[in-house]
Amino acid sequence: MRNTQGTFSFLPDLTDDQISAQIQYCLDKDWAVGVEYCYDPHPRNIYWDMWGNPMFDLKDPKGVMMELADCRKVHGDAYIRLNAFDNTRAVESVTLSFIVNRPKVEPTIRMTRQEVNGRSVRYTHEIVR
Amino acid sequence: MADTAKNTDSTEIKDKKERYKSGVLKYAQMGYWDGDYVPKDTDILALFRMTPQEGVDPIECAAAVAGESSTATWTVVWTDRLTAADQYRAKAYRIDPVPNTPGQYFVYIAYDLILFEPGSLANLTASIIGNVFGFKPLKALRLEDMRFPVAYIKTYKGPSSGIIVERERLDKFGRPLLGATTKPKLGLSGKNYGRVVYEGLKGGLDFMKDDENINSQPFMHFRDRFLYVMEAVNRASAETGEVKGSYLNVTAGTMEEMYRRAELAKELGSVIIMIDLVIGYTAIQSMSEWCRNNDMILHLHRAGHGTYTRQKNHGISFRVIAKWMRLAGVDHIHAGTSVGKLEGDPLVTQGFYNVLREQHNPVDLPRGIFFEQDWGDMLKVMPVASGGIHAGQMHQLIDLFGDDVVLQFGGGTIGHPMGIQAGATANRVALEAMVFARNEGRNILAEGPDILRAAAKWCKPLEAALDVWGSITFDYTSTDTSDFTPMPSVSL
Amino acid sequence: MDTLATTVDLRAEYESSGVREVLDELDRDMIGLAPVKARIRETAALLLVEKARKTLGLTHLTPTLHMSFTGNPGTGKTTVALKMAGLLKRLGYVRKGHLVSVTRDDLVGQYIGHTAPKTKEVLKRAMGGVLFIDEAYYLYRPDNERDYGQEAIEILLQIMENNRDDLVVILAGYADRMDTFFNANPGFRSRIAHHIDFPDYTDAELLAITEHMMAEQNYRATDDARTAFGEYIGLRRAQPHFANARSIRNAFDRARLRQANRLFAAAEGPLDAEALSTLVEADVRASRVFSGGLDSRTAEMEGKK
Repeated sequence: MRNTQGTFSFLPDLTDDQISAQIQYCLDKDWAVGVEYCYDPHPRNIYWDMWGNPMFDLKDPKGVMMELADCRKVHGDAYIRLNAFDNTRAVESVTLSFIVNRPKVEPTIRMTRQEVNGRSVRYTHEIVR
Repeated sequence: MADTAKNTDSTEIKDKKERYKSGVLKYAQMGYWDGDYVPKDTDILALFRMTPQEGVDPIECAAAVAGESSTATWTVVWTDRLTAADQYRAKAYRIDPVPNTPGQYFVYIAYDLILFEPGSLANLTASIIGNVFGFKPLKALRLEDMRFPVAYIKTYKGPSSGIIVERERLDKFGRPLLGATTKPKLGLSGKNYGRVVYEGLKGGLDFMKDDENINSQPFMHFRDRFLYVMEAVNRASAETGEVKGSYLNVTAGTMEEMYRRAELAKELGSVIIMIDLVIGYTAIQSMSEWCRNNDMILHLHRAGHGTYTRQKNHGISFRVIAKWMRLAGVDHIHAGTSVGKLEGDPLVTQGFYNVLREQHNPVDLPRGIFFEQDWGDMLKVMPVASGGIHAGQMHQLIDLFGDDVVLQFGGGTIGHPMGIQAGATANRVALEAMVFARNEGRNILAEGPDILRAAAKWCKPLEAALDVWGSITFDYTSTDTSDFTPMPSVSL
Repeated sequence: MDTLATTVDLRAEYESSGVREVLDELDRDMIGLAPVKARIRETAALLLVEKARKTLGLTHLTPTLHMSFTGNPGTGKTTVALKMAGLLKRLGYVRKGHLVSVTRDDLVGQYIGHTAPKTKEVLKRAMGGVLFIDEAYYLYRPDNERDYGQEAIEILLQIMENNRDDLVVILAGYADRMDTFFNANPGFRSRIAHHIDFPDYTDAELLAITEHMMAEQNYRATDDARTAFGEYIGLRRAQPHFANARSIRNAFDRARLRQANRLFAAAEGPLDAEALSTLVEADVRASRVFSGGLDSRTAEMEGKK
């Protein structure tokens, strides 16, 4: 199952040049860029692990690409995403977040129904490898 | 002017004996016109487009508007003298002829902050649009814009989630959100309805939406709809790994019933509920309060607004409704598309978006913004563009509205020749491809069609969508346009 | 496949790339430094030709561009590095052309595991531009074999080798110490293609620099004051911690301070622009340098920057 979280998951997987161009867009807006990875792409898994802190004050995407390369070496079979952070007052949040690495075989998500109160159902989701 | 002994018609009578003599005075003489008045930072300001009846003096008419929207009655009352009436009177302080439109005037009126109850839109509107619109000396009157002091803004809680929190909850960043209204609006059974929701969400939409008049009719009880829709939402989440939502319309005949429906939506795990503008300002504020207490996003369909926002000479501009709704605390509001089937001049529509999304609005006459507005850190409302838009216009939509908008392609999703999922996929691919290209530095307005065609080469559903709708446009002249052309030399 | 051009117009390239502009700017803005300017012109020519050769398919390698700038403090190394970054950008050898200027403290950490992230952080910021390491030899402390500087050196060497397309490193400092440093770390010597030596300024050049500084800030010196500045330069040079243009800037700043105090103490009526921008002899001669002393506080700072 192709997990379609992130800004560009409906596009073919991005090349490194394409990833660099998106990073450049972020740097031009003075956004910090961070690398995060995870093995549990549950829809509500908010906190992926950080591959180091978000990077501030970069001029060129290469700095991020070096970290991405290092992260891929260690976590090649994880989901890896790049997050951009905008510290403008009244934003102060993520402004771009896209997947740049996927496991060779992506896990699926199992939905479990728990019947409660007549026809009402409680739903939970679980990653299945 | 104030010093002159002899009273002209448009001069406030300062002599107390003269002023409060029983009888009828002109509104200007009663003190509702003051051309020298300098508005205070704490005043609420309103701009009206006024069309006086033939032969009515514009200044007297402006004073009447100020009077009738504040303290005045048709005759002199001595009980005014028990109050600090001078300060309670609204003051028309400026009047300008509308450019190129004989017989119409822009009237600026200032209202002292004490006239208004904190945090009550009902109180504000009862004053500003209460009686005055039916006043006989007026041929027509339109409330064009308002300025609220930060002190007044702070008496409202504003959006229950706002754009940033909504995005964090949905884990969706850097692009417009995608939605579609489930169609047909009326007649689908709950089970069939949920099918449409599932297909749309699985295909790539972030949201599906109930239409404004989907409530709890014989063909589909609201409980049925909610249950089937939430099955669809959760299944789609499992199939995509994304957080998905469907605006569950809780609009009902009573507050009690709306709360009941909202509680059910919450119990079933929905991230968002929906209301219609026709439920009224107080009900909207109440539902916002409920949403704030229940981590729920509040979607507002502006049902009914066209009856009073569309005509340029009479009613209320949608920009004022947008400001009121930001105060009232909705998280989503339909704010026009410019390129779709519904009314909307591009610049004026951008003005609505700015009012909803910015922390500070500078005066921007081509976009219809007459007052500088500081929002005092009030959260931002996500505008929704909906009505006759399709994937082929993606570049125009992103260029006009940026990322913080929900683009709703109802017909463009459900009417897709390859099915609903394919329709959703076509829209999502078009959206991502366009944002991607923009970020790469391409001029999407010029290259948009090429960018879409390139993506259509590997995405059959997009190819089909462009083949069916690629050339559809709605080129009608807008009725609600700015009177000011976008030139720096505009003079009022 | 791209078709290669068959000819290249070096003159046109020189103009259109903006290289000429940078070199002219260098000539115009910087006083003296004749040998430095000559070396930079040579380097620019080499890189321009190298680029042309690439256009014609005669070479595919990115030349090694790392440099060392040697010379005493205050001889214009940082300023020239800034121009060099602009030059490399216009020639297309770096993508962004910004300058990140650091010293040992920015690269080397205080405890185990601290140095690598610190050095990498700096390198990431420098990507696409020029990394200027002032007094680079402090990275190497032969007396302490467990010094964390060694870790920074290893990362630097690796990046200088593997990321030649991404950044240019300039090592700067005193010539003799740099030489010792290169002898102990041959890895650096082999990776550095361009050595530029920055001579001390002559007295006349320093006086010209003084006048340039004054003109920039709308000051003028009386003839007597100018003579005093000339004498100051000769005396100051003989003292310890002399730092060329930096010493002159400090002397000028102190003269401004004295002028301000003089005006404040003496002024009774309104002052005109003339009075506010004129430095007189006393403003300069009050310096302790004239009585054989140092303008102590700052003198030490001049030496260390």
